[in-house]
This record gives sequence, C-alpha cells and structure tokens, in this order.
Amino acid sequence: MIEYQKFILKNGLRVLVHVDTSTPTAAFNLLYDVGSRDESPDKTGFAHLFEHLMFGGSKHIKDFDTHIQRAGGENNAFTNSDMTNFYMTMPAQNLETAFWMESDRMLALTIHKKALNTQRKVVVEEFKETTLDEPYGDIWHHLGEMAFSTHPYRYPTIGKEPAHIEQATLEDVKDFYKRFYTPNNAILVIAGNVTFENVRFLAEKWFGEIPAGEKYIRNLPQEPPQTAQKRKILKQAIPVPAIYMAFHAPARLAADYHATDMLTDVLSTGSSSRLYRRLLKEQRVFTEIDCYQTGTADAGLLVVEGKPAEGVSLEKAEAAIWVELDLLKTELVQSVELQKFKHKLESQQTFGDIGALNKAMNLAYFEWLGNADWINNEIDAYLKIEALDIQMVAQKYLHEWNCSVLYYLPEKVLE
Amino acid sequence: MKKLNRKIPPPVHGVQNISVPPPAVHHLDNGIQVVETRMGTQPVLKLEICFRAGRAAEHKNTVAYAATRLLRDGTTTLNSKEIAEILDFYAGTLGTHPGWDTSAVSLFCLTKHFEALIPVVADMILNPVYPQHELQTFIDKNIRELQVDLTQSDTIAYRKLTELLFGEKMPYGYSSVAEDYKALTVNDLKRFHQEQLTADNCVIFIGGAVNEAILKLLNQYLGQHKTKRIPYQNVLCTETHPKTSVHLKNETGLQTSIRIGRRFGSKLNPDYAGASVVNLILGGYFGSRLMKNIREAKGYTYNISSSIDFMQHDGYWYIGTEVGTKFAAKTLEEIYKEMQLLQTELVDAAELEMVRNYCLGNMLNMIDGAFAVMDAVKPFFLEDLQDDVLQKLVDTIRHITIRNEKKY
Repeated sequence: MIEYQKFILKNGLRVLVHVDTSTPTAAFNLLYDVGSRDESPDKTGFAHLFEHLMFGGSKHIKDFDTHIQRAGGENNAFTNSDMTNFYMTMPAQNLETAFWMESDRMLALTIHKKALNTQRKVVVEEFKETTLDEPYGDIWHHLGEMAFSTHPYRYPTIGKEPAHIEQATLEDVKDFYKRFYTPNNAILVIAGNVTFENVRFLAEKWFGEIPAGEKYIRNLPQEPPQTAQKRKILKQAIPVPAIYMAFHAPARLAADYHATDMLTDVLSTGSSSRLYRRLLKEQRVFTEIDCYQTGTADAGLLVVEGKPAEGVSLEKAEAAIWVELDLLKTELVQSVELQKFKHKLESQQTFGDIGALNKAMNLAYFEWLGNADWINNEIDAYLKIEALDIQMVAQKYLHEWNCSVLYYLPEKVLE
Repeated sequence: MKKLNRKIPPPVHGVQNISVPPPAVHHLDNGIQVVETRMGTQPVLKLEICFRAGRAAEHKNTVAYAATRLLRDGTTTLNSKEIAEILDFYAGTLGTHPGWDTSAVSLFCLTKHFEALIPVVADMILNPVYPQHELQTFIDKNIRELQVDLTQSDTIAYRKLTELLFGEKMPYGYSSVAEDYKALTVNDLKRFHQEQLTADNCVIFIGGAVNEAILKLLNQYLGQHKTKRIPYQNVLCTETHPKTSVHLKNETGLQTSIRIGRRFGSKLNPDYAGASVVNLILGGYFGSRLMKNIREAKGYTYNISSSIDFMQHDGYWYIGTEVGTKFAAKTLEEIYKEMQLLQTELVDAAELEMVRNYCLGNMLNMIDGAFAVMDAVKPFFLEDLQDDVLQKLVDTIRHITIRNEKKY
C-alpha cells in the first residue's frame, strides 16, 4: 500500500507526495502530458528531440547537469508515444536543488541555435544506434505503418526518419515548449525522506509563480477498425529470420485491457507459460518467443514475436503460433493458470513498493492515467478476471483480419 | 512577498558518511556461511546461493555458463517443466548468474512462499541431472543469439578488447564461439557441478523480511550435504598486447564502435580508490569530460563512457562509444586529448567537488534497502577483501586531493 497526499497549485500543477523515512534519498519526478502521438506527421521524432533540449540550460541555470551532480544527485528522462518524463534522485537534504532546477526550465528554457544543432546530431546518432544499426531495430517503423493507417502511433517515438530531426527549427522548438511545457500539463511527484509540509512549501516557492498555459485539447485522428490481414516480407542483412504478428488491442483504460493482459501472461510470462513451454521447449519450433501488449493511452497492439529454430520455416513457425492462439478461443484457460497469475500480481505489487524512484514514477503514471489511487487498487480489476473473460478477448482480438504479419528474412543464406 | 532570486542555487549539503549496516553471519550444519541482511517493511525475500567458482574454474570453455544456466532444467525428481510450474505458481523469480569467478542462483519471493519454493531451489543446487535434450535446446538457443550478437559492432569490439587484454585462450579473455557450445556434453556439466558447486565452496546471502523459520528451512534443505570441491589450476590470463590497435570493418558503415582499454589489476591494486575517482571524471557519469566534450559539445555520439570492470584477480579500465562513422577519427583524437589533459593538468577544485558529491550521493543508493545492502556486502564475503576496502573508498572520495595522474 503506497500512501500519498496530493495538492494542486493555482497554475494547475498537480503535486503528489509519498513519505518514506526508511531511505536517505528523495526522488523527484515530473511528467509532462505530451508524447510522440502529439506530433504532426511531417515532424516526427520531435517530442523526443525536445526532451534532449530540456537539458540545454535555462534562464538562470546555464549548465543543468552540474548542479544536480554537485548536490549528489542524478537525473534523466524518457519519452514515449504518450508522455515525457523527467526524474532526479538525490540525498534527501538536497531536495530543494531539484525544485530550483526543474522549475527554472519550466519557467524559462533557453532556446538557442547551438544546443539545437548539437542535439539534432546526438539524436541522429541515437537513431542509428537503436534503430538503423541494430538488427530488427526498424521493427516499429514497419509494424506501425502496417497496423496504423491514421493514428499517430504509425510512427515510433524516435521518428519516421532522421531527416525529420535534422529539419527541426527553432520556431518548432518555441512553439512546442509553449504548447506543452506548462504547469497545467504536468504532474509532479516527490517520494522519499521528505515531509509533506516542506514539499508544499517548496512547490509554492519555486513553481507557484509560473503562469498557467493555454489548455491543450488533444484531438487525435482515431484508427478505423482493420478489416483484412496485412502481410510484409523484409529481406535484410540480418543473421536469423524473425516473425512479428501485431493485433489491434485495447487502450489502457478500456474494459478489455486487464483480461488481455492476463491473456499475454498465459502465453508468455514465466518459463511455464504456454508459448515458451510448448513452442520453444517441447516442439523446439522457436529459440526465442514473446507476447505482450503495448498498453498505450489510445488503442495499441498485442504483439507475438519470435525467432524460429534452425531449419524451421517462418510459415511453420507462424502456424504453430496460430494453433496456440486458436486454443485460447476454443478452450478455457485452466484455473491453475489463473491462480498463478494472481500470485504473480500480488508479488509484483509488493515488490513494486520498493525504492523511492520506482514509487514516484508509478504514482505519476497512475495520476496521469486518471487516478493515483489505482497504484493500490488496480489489482482488484485483475482479480475479477475469470477464464471466460480471457476466452472472450481472445475471440474478440486474435483474428486473422485484425492482424499484421511481418517476416524478416536474411538477405543471404548463412553457410 | 519577497521576489524569488532564481540566480542563487539553494544550499547544498554534503553527504557526511555512508555506513553499511553490518550483516548477521550464521553457519549451517555443514559449515555453509549464511550472510543475513534483515531489513525493510515489505514481506519479501531475496536468497542468493553463491559458489566461488566461475569462468576461472572451467575445464572447458563455456561450461561454467552452461552448468549454471541449466540448473533449473531438471533434477533427479523434477523435470524442467515441473520446476517452472512450481516457480511460476508461487511467483518466485529465479535467476542463474554465471560470472568470472562465481556462479550463483538467486530467488526473489514473498516471504510466505519461501517454504514452498526452497525445496525446489535446493533440489536444483544439489541434484541437477542436465538432460541431453535440455542441453541441446540450450546450445541451439545460444548459437542463434550469438549469430545475432556477432552482427553488432559493439559486441565485436568488446570481444576483441578482452581477447587482447587477457589472452584469447584464457578464462578472462576468450570469447565464446559456436564450436564451444557444440563441444559441451552432459558429462562436462556434471563434472563442473560436482567439482565446483560444492558445499565447501558456497556462501548464502539472504535479505529482506528474514525470520527464524526461514533460517531453519535453509538449514534443513541446504545445510545437510557435505560436498568438497576440487581446486582448479587454471592460469587466468597471459601476457597482453600493449599498444595494439585493431580496426575491424563495419559492414553497414553508419556507426563505428570504439573501445580503448588497459589491464588494471584487481581491487587490491593500491590505486583502486583513486582510479575510481579519475574514471568518474573522465567518463563515469553524465557530466564527465568525455560526455561533455564528445556528446554535449560535438554531437558525435549518443553515449560515451569510461569504466573499470573487475574480476576477482584482475580488472580492466576502458573507454567505449558508438559514433557516427564519419566522426570516428575525430572522436579518437578527442579521447586521447582528454586523457592527456588529465595527466598534465590539475583538476580544478569545483569539478572535483562536484564529482565527490555526486559519487557520495550515489553511494547512498548502496544502503537504500535490504537488497542493495546485500549487493554491497557480497564482495567482502566472496573475494577475500579486507573489511575496510569500502570505508577506504569512501574516505578516498571524501578526501581525495588534486594531483597529477600519469600512471595509467
């Protein structure tokens, strides 16, 4: 059970505090409600590039990293399709340094040509390292384009192509900052060896004077239902073939989300799960296999991916997956599989309550999702799931016409 | 209300001292040492069963890795499926950890499930059978993974570096190849298990919500066997190849991997603490000189770092980065420039102060919770280190002064 208190500043900044006196540290987590889904299709990769620019200094703080390091702390950030999240940890006695720094870059980020030029290069190198130079690294470029015709999930967070990043302008940066980096579009969570009163005082002191921004109304084009299977074969300089199957799946807040989550668990969580046990260990059709859903704010994907064993064709590998998927539609999962999942949830929940940064990030995530209380009681939604619910989501989503199938084949056959 | 002056940073308070809570040490009936870190409010446990034998103790390449990984794949009474079912049913997270000088099995679980899980874990440790078909699946899987890894320049560069530093046929230096895996037999794995994963070679760590019943269960299941190890005679590394520079062509050509390294010796090297600080300044954190120069000023790379990796009997200090191929030559030039700068010019006081604070702040994480403390005390029980090494490291970081560092 994670206890927390919440208050809202006049400018709309939501602040949550979790006190844990057993640790000498404090975690400071600031989440902005903006992700790559908020980009325009001709300027993809921008939300993530902008995250990099947030470390380039602000009006009163020239060198961002120096100060947090001098305070014995560390900071970093990540961007995904739905959100951008900045976090710091430090000795609890130096918490105010984080307030000073983070409020300054929300109030007055320095936007200048040199930082933009450098970070464009850094991000292009990141693009190469994670995507272009990585075997199967372009998977989300292909799967996204196949599965999404309309919704911005079509493009991965890193961007559609390096050129979009190289073309980013100072005007784009200013506009993005003004639109999204406002107190009313953010959630701040402090966890660790702190007091509520002190956090409240520091929040008022450092964030209180930042003016609210214009409210951003998200109005994204929604994806029409898929009606026919899509297939694609890629021939690349990769050593081992691979298969990816992506089904449209429920949004994070949709009624079917929890049952679908349990379905992916039955298939591939733990070494007793069905795909691992049957297809990898017993039939030896695969040497790697996994299944998961993306759980994004708008409807996302359920993905099955694997690498077939030596000498097994992708067609045969795909057929073996369909057998397992079809079984879920025709037969109820066993009660022992459900029980196993419920034990896992209880354990996950208990272990998730460890570590200040962990708790701060989770609180911010659930508050962003709609209600920080869910950090403690979402488990109830899972505990209600029965075998029949899993069968129903299998029947609803795991159809050929709801699926995009991608094969990776090596350009040359290995000797 | 007074106008807020944002130009003045809030005062920063240094970390005074870092003291690791001393663990309780017990012995099982057969003499196995149990190191207990009883801490925390959550009803969770971590168990780690460690053996002082890893790659250094192999009679054949990759056998330590295989014998440890396959512990979970069958015992005299349970097959791999049954083991997996029990572990998953009680939500136990089992890890197998082959290392340079140790092999270990870890278990995370809720305290209430320990009683159901410990018999299975003990069975894996005491009575593995290494079924032929499980070994074959393991070999196939590893060869597949190796095929993918060998297309990546960072893997290739790393392998080449350790081969050059420690000798390509030596335990610390060799890079595993498909032939190594193919040559493994069930008897090899059994031999490694019998000779090295023995009671007299074992230390058990347990942390979290430990109680007397848990300790009793440990003694019941892991305290009754008495197996003895056969000491290994391996030479761990050969002469290295100083000043060698190797260029391997990267087929895609988008990025080039750079690794520059040297042998450093083990943590017993008297320069251990000092070098750790120099390493931080050079490339050990986000604000390091290499990051500031090569990423933040020039934009040649997404990441560049310097680190010192330790085995029990040796270690190496290396710089690594992936850079745009057209920036490779310039990056090398800048790396050498930064190294030389550290050797010839004094580190200024503000930078040193920043590194000191950063480092001590970071070390607070070492005492953040039972599992972190477990990891912090582990080397003292596994590597015959003096108890004061950690304190010396903390003291050095607190008191290190500015001086030239030319030695490396």
